[in-house]
Amino acid sequence: MKKIAPFTIALAFLASALYAFSAAEKTADAAKQGAAPAQPAKAEATKEPLVCFESRKGASEITQREIKPGWPNVKCSPTTGAALWYGDPYEGTVPLGKMPGLEKIPEGHAVVRPRSEKLAILPMCAVACHNGVGPAFVPPALPKDKKPVPIPTMEGLLPALKDLQHGRGRIWCLDCHHTTKRNMLVDNYGDPVSFDQPQLLCGKCHGDKLRDWRDGIHGKRIGEFASTGRKRWFVCTECHNPHNVQDGARNRGFAQLQPEPPPQLPRGMKDARHELVHPIPH
Amino acid sequence: MTHEETPSADPAREQEAERAVPPASADPAASAPRASRRDFLKAGGMLSLSSLMGTAALMVQSDNARAAIEWAEHFQKNYRLMTPQEKAEARARLERRYSQEYGRKVNVDTTDAQPGVLMGYALNVRKCIGCRRCVHACVAENNQSRGSRPGEKIEWIQVLRMERGEFAKEKMNQGYPEGLGIQVGGNAYTPAGEVLEGQYRYEPAAVPEKDATYMPIACMQCEKPPCVKVCPVRTTYREPDGVVVIDYNWCIGCRMCMGACPYWARRFNVNNPVLPKEEINPVTHYLGNRPRMRGVVEKCHWCLQRTRHGRYPACVEVCPVGARKFGNLLDPESEVSLILARKNVFRLKAELNTFPKFFYFYD
Repeated sequence: MKKIAPFTIALAFLASALYAFSAAEKTADAAKQGAAPAQPAKAEATKEPLVCFESRKGASEITQREIKPGWPNVKCSPTTGAALWYGDPYEGTVPLGKMPGLEKIPEGHAVVRPRSEKLAILPMCAVACHNGVGPAFVPPALPKDKKPVPIPTMEGLLPALKDLQHGRGRIWCLDCHHTTKRNMLVDNYGDPVSFDQPQLLCGKCHGDKLRDWRDGIHGKRIGEFASTGRKRWFVCTECHNPHNVQDGARNRGFAQLQPEPPPQLPRGMKDARHELVHPIPH
Repeated sequence: MTHEETPSADPAREQEAERAVPPASADPAASAPRASRRDFLKAGGMLSLSSLMGTAALMVQSDNARAAIEWAEHFQKNYRLMTPQEKAEARARLERRYSQEYGRKVNVDTTDAQPGVLMGYALNVRKCIGCRRCVHACVAENNQSRGSRPGEKIEWIQVLRMERGEFAKEKMNQGYPEGLGIQVGGNAYTPAGEVLEGQYRYEPAAVPEKDATYMPIACMQCEKPPCVKVCPVRTTYREPDGVVVIDYNWCIGCRMCMGACPYWARRFNVNNPVLPKEEINPVTHYLGNRPRMRGVVEKCHWCLQRTRHGRYPACVEVCPVGARKFGNLLDPESEVSLILARKNVFRLKAELNTFPKFFYFYD
């Protein structure tokens, strides 16, 4: 026995050393394998930054970037290009500003992403054509039938204007856009308000929706769920296109989107046609 | 100087020593005189010590943390019975194993339920457009298996597409429907119209479709959960903030809970979960989205790794139409409390008395 013991100790240590070595080699191999597919993805990212849309196409977008190693600010759907996951919900936001009914929310806890950055023709609006001089209408001499005179340039910029459906023909451009400051909207008193705060304009008619939006029932918010938590609020025009609210093919006020891929089929099933037939054929 | 020459101080003791030596024997078994009991135990002790040291060396020195940790995991208690010390140990073990398996720092959170919070969820069925973004956001957040073979692609949220009913006047008196579809028009005596029972795998070019209603279904986080009642090892239970969770380490994979759940909310890992290294979400919770193993059941847990730290669940944050609302039911100012106060609310299969904390509402 005495003779065996030292041999056993030696053998055990040898075996452990061998095992540790092989394990280290295995992990090194695994690391190499893991690194290999990651490289082309990185190369793609450097080629062209991935931009994904948030609520509807053409309204607000986020450019993907890494906040810290391996932690992107947003993950995009490879199928549809929609934002699928937020690493940083407050990116690029500014405070919402004062609004009655928000007294309980601490300063700076309600934030929005400025809309004016995404509105492509907004910088031109006030300077190029509508430079604030305009025809001298004080008070503005609005046409009786509220039918805008077709302006080819405007229709070229915004095709939805050809058949403006908002209000079923009862309202026209200058009911919402300021008469002299065209890069602004109008509030209840006819004063200019920023494009970043469309709720001050929309709430004039859609008061019930404004109240629900203020309380968090209508619309979308991301961030902290506590009622006094820090949240990014999505403003009206991030989800709704005010120029095109009715459309034959759409449903429930939302523009149509491409859906994400369906779930996996059960084992042995070729397609999902069984869902399209009645349980008992007739 | 030899022993014999030494003058003995005590002759009587010497005599006694001589008497203690056993007499010579012819038996060969008894003839090995040198191996005393002490020697035998000593040698045996050395042997077992060396083998133990070898095992220890294997488990401590090797980089393969998986073997060592799985060994320790087999002996850990049910999560609810663990002391804070044991929880910390379990957490450290898991973090080490996951970090090695996925090649990056994986954090396993063990934050307990926050006092004064009872989580609740509300979903506007009228707004849902069936785009399935919530389904895929959930997968991106919660480390589900995403393989291509049958049973390897797991999604916790199902979106059910239902046809709109036909309440057209001309169809009101067309008689009973043929077959066994759902009656959607007419009245009890003269029903009219018939729709499909529902589709999960609809694939139109664009949603919402004109004639469809969509209804996402996931775990309802019942106040009286049938799955908790049937679990034979009590590994699924309701947390104090209202979420029904699973301690994956204690799950034996019997799938009783899957049979008991009336909302089809639970999924089973038939194979080893397929989770590529670059796709793992490294922020995890012990009872939430930590990577699962083969043979355990999993389900929605309202993103505990987020909600325990005050953040919205992932599905709420990506819903493009704002149909999903989440909040604290104990806070009268929260979104869900206001919806319960103002809107028309129903619960799915309320007649089963499961008391879900997931409410469907419409404007």
